[in-house]
Amino acid sequence: MSRASVDVGSGTAAPAPAQARGTTAPPAAGVTRVRLGADPEDGRKPLLSRQARERIVTALAPLVLLLAWELLVQARLLDRRFFPAPSSIAGTFVQLAQTTLPGHIGISLSRAAVGFILGAIPAVLLGVVMGLVPIVRAALQPIVGALFAIPKVAILPLIMLIFGLGEQSKWAIIAIAVFFQVLISTAAGVANIDRIYLDVGRNYGAGRLATLWTIALPGALPVIFAGIRLGWGVSLLLLVTAEMVAAKSGLGFLIWQSWQTFIIEDMYVGLLTIATLGMISFWLLDALEAWLIPWRTSR
Amino acid sequence: MATHVPAPAPATAEGRPPKIVVERLSKTFGGRGGRTGPVQALHDVNLTVPDGQFCCIVGPSGCGKTTLLRILAGLESHSAGRLELLHADQRRPLSSMVFQEQSIFPWMTVRDNVAYGPRMRGVPDRESREQVDYYIDKVGLTQFRKAYPHQLSGGMKQRVSVARAFANAPEVLLMDEPFAALDEQNKSLLQEELLRIWEESRNTVLFITHSIDEALFLGDRVLVMTARPGTLKADMLVPFTRPRRAYELKAAPGYGDMSFAVWSQLRDEVMTARAAESVAR
Repeated sequence: MSRASVDVGSGTAAPAPAQARGTTAPPAAGVTRVRLGADPEDGRKPLLSRQARERIVTALAPLVLLLAWELLVQARLLDRRFFPAPSSIAGTFVQLAQTTLPGHIGISLSRAAVGFILGAIPAVLLGVVMGLVPIVRAALQPIVGALFAIPKVAILPLIMLIFGLGEQSKWAIIAIAVFFQVLISTAAGVANIDRIYLDVGRNYGAGRLATLWTIALPGALPVIFAGIRLGWGVSLLLLVTAEMVAAKSGLGFLIWQSWQTFIIEDMYVGLLTIATLGMISFWLLDALEAWLIPWRTSR
Repeated sequence: MATHVPAPAPATAEGRPPKIVVERLSKTFGGRGGRTGPVQALHDVNLTVPDGQFCCIVGPSGCGKTTLLRILAGLESHSAGRLELLHADQRRPLSSMVFQEQSIFPWMTVRDNVAYGPRMRGVPDRESREQVDYYIDKVGLTQFRKAYPHQLSGGMKQRVSVARAFANAPEVLLMDEPFAALDEQNKSLLQEELLRIWEESRNTVLFITHSIDEALFLGDRVLVMTARPGTLKADMLVPFTRPRRAYELKAAPGYGDMSFAVWSQLRDEVMTARAAESVAR
């Protein structure tokens, strides 16, 4: 609506918006002012910004929970055989940290890392081929789909039969789980790259290898990384399982042994450690992703 | 002014050697094994573009303009007929395309995107650097060399796309409605930029658009394409001298007549295309 056509109500406020909103104001004479939105300043200023308040609450909540737990145990409202007080878990932690815990952590991490690498690298390579070559995809898709559906824990006995009770069986079960997870996401990521980018590659004379390196791989990287993240989660799960079933070391073993010997504080130390390692490793994955995929739109 | 296309197109009269020769080109999609019957996209297209000409093709949507360009770019095969692009200098690539949709790689910086053509041809970075930086500067993105596409606006992304094509130094530039998705002001700016850059290099350009104004502003010649199956209907030379300025051109004598002449050729085709569309629904 142009300004010239509204000069009927000149001097007062522009009547146009009020009428457009369908208010029942009389057409020309009495003009209703419609106030939209809140006042720009409501006067009171909070002591802390919203983010600061949220951050404080985030930090305090677990502490409050731990304190409540401690008090409940001290007041004998919680059974300390199942839920030992945080203070006694902390004591056990300090004690174990000076003796066997570092060894358990080391062996567990090395198992997870070796298995992960053994699974992820071939998965990315095969996944890219599956994504780029339809005939390969057609051949492998059903097989991969069927094998992926098997819960990996179910094949642990078979793996131990084949690879024995040593390190190899742990690497193998983790590698297998990671392999399928990463393979599926890589193949999907590459196959779903916007066709336009492949057209650009062809138009600008990119050969097969260049297409793979400059288009397929970077184009699929965000999806590949989502698979890697899931794969790492699965490998932590299988790591603990495999160590419970057949190992003489590692965090899974620590937890299982403390159940058998009924040393509950040790079990909690094992749980705490695995949770912390899980958290730290996902932070590291975040950092790796930010470094590998600087073009990602949202963090 | 509007003449129907006989085999030797009037533009060859300019006396320059032909760069693109298309004879009786047809393209049919689907048919064998397809769910729908075969669809003829192009029918008997004849076209000769002399070296160094800026040639615009206007046509209703869905008339096969993009298909024609993709065939010339080697991204699509043709079903019948003959086409020839003359490759004069083997050290330069034959053709580069500027696509309609967002086509710059999101995972590369502006600089890497623009350097993509030379890199794929195996030109060492230090040899292409000057050329690449030159075109980044020409499209006004020097400050954004190291930015990723998601940090750029739509207009800036299309600038990168244009710079990428020019930095490849092709003999033929194929442009598929590169500015269609942009707002009016950005469009005008980019059109002027494109002309400035092109006037230095004078590559042969085949530019597809559905805008008559754009065709008249940019082109040496305007071809009108029919509704599907697309074929060339009218062929007109654009008489306005260069360098051109968008808003001055619109006030120039003869502009209205020219614009009307193109529209009167195009109108029936747009109507036919619309009718076909509503039947299909």
